[in-house]
Amino acid sequence: MEARQTIEAVGTTIEDAISRGLDALNVQRNEVEIQVLESGSREARVQLTVKARHVEPRTVEEQPAAPSARPSAEVDDSGIAASGDVAAAQRVLATLLARMRVRAEVEARQAEIADAQDQQEGPTILLDIRGNDLAALIGRRGETLDNLQYLTRLLAAKEIGHYLNLVLDVEGYKSHREQMLQQLAQRMAERVVTSHQPAALEPMPANERRIIHITLRNHPGVRTESVGTGENRKVTIVPKSLKQ
Amino acid sequence: MCPMKELVEYVVKGLVDHVDQVVVTEIRNGKSVTLELHVAPDDMGRVIGKGGRVANAIRMLLRVMVAREGGRVTLDIV
Repeated sequence: MEARQTIEAVGTTIEDAISRGLDALNVQRNEVEIQVLESGSREARVQLTVKARHVEPRTVEEQPAAPSARPSAEVDDSGIAASGDVAAAQRVLATLLARMRVRAEVEARQAEIADAQDQQEGPTILLDIRGNDLAALIGRRGETLDNLQYLTRLLAAKEIGHYLNLVLDVEGYKSHREQMLQQLAQRMAERVVTSHQPAALEPMPANERRIIHITLRNHPGVRTESVGTGENRKVTIVPKSLKQ
Repeated sequence: MCPMKELVEYVVKGLVDHVDQVVVTEIRNGKSVTLELHVAPDDMGRVIGKGGRVANAIRMLLRVMVAREGGRVTLDIV
C-alpha cells in the first residue's frame, strides 16, 4: 500500500474547490475521494484523498518497503518522507536547473511538523535553491518559482510513482515572505477588530493566502475568507461580530 | 544542441508515457526561437495540463533562459 495523499481545497463553490484541489494534485476526478467539509454561501471547503493508484509499469518502486507488521496508516502518521523521496525530489530539481543553465545548489530537507494540519497533510519536502543572482527564478509575485515547483512536483511524482508534498524556496525568499505575511495578518486583524469593518488584502497566490488563513485561524475576533477568482483572488478579514 | 530544446525534452520525457515519440524541432529566426513539440496523441493531456498549466509552466522556464540574452521563445504543441 502506498501513502494516501489528502489535501484540503477552498473555493467559492463546492465545484470550484474540487477543481482547485484536482489541479493542485494534478489528478482526474475519478482518482480521488471527495469529502465536503464546509459549504457556506461564499466559500466551500472540500477534502480530496487520492485513491491508491496503480504504479506506472515503467517506474521502479525505489523506496524500501515499509515493515509489513506496521499498518501503512502509522507510517503516514510519523510524518517522515521516505529518504528515497527526498533524494528523488532533490535530483529532479537539480537536473531541471542544470538544463536551464542556472548555476545553483539545491538543499533538501524535511519540513518540521508545526501543527495538526501539517500532520494531516503528510510529510513535506523543502527544497531550497541557493546561488547568486536568482531573482529571475522567483519572478513577479513568485510566479516563476510556483511554476518551477509545479513541474518539479510532477516530474518527481512520475519518477517515484506517487504524489509528493514539495515546496521550493529561493535563498529563503518564501520563508521571509511568510514572516512578513504573518505580521501583516496580525496587524490587519487588529485593525478589523477595532474598526468592526472587513478589510481586503492585496491579491495573493494560493500559498500566501493559506499563510494568512492559518495565521488567523484561531483568532478570537476575526475570520478570513478568500474572494475573487484567478489572479485577483484575495483574502478578506471579517470581524466575527458581523453576520455572514 | 540548443539548451532550450534540451530543457523541453527533459521535462516532456519525464511526464509522458511514450518517451520514444517525443520530438522537439527548433526553428531559429534571428533572436527568436520557436520550439515545436510533438508527442503521442494520448500524452497530449499530460503535456498541456489542466487549463494549459503544464505547457505554460514550461514556457515560463524557457523565458527565464532567453531573458538573459534578450531573445524570444515560443513553444508550440503540434
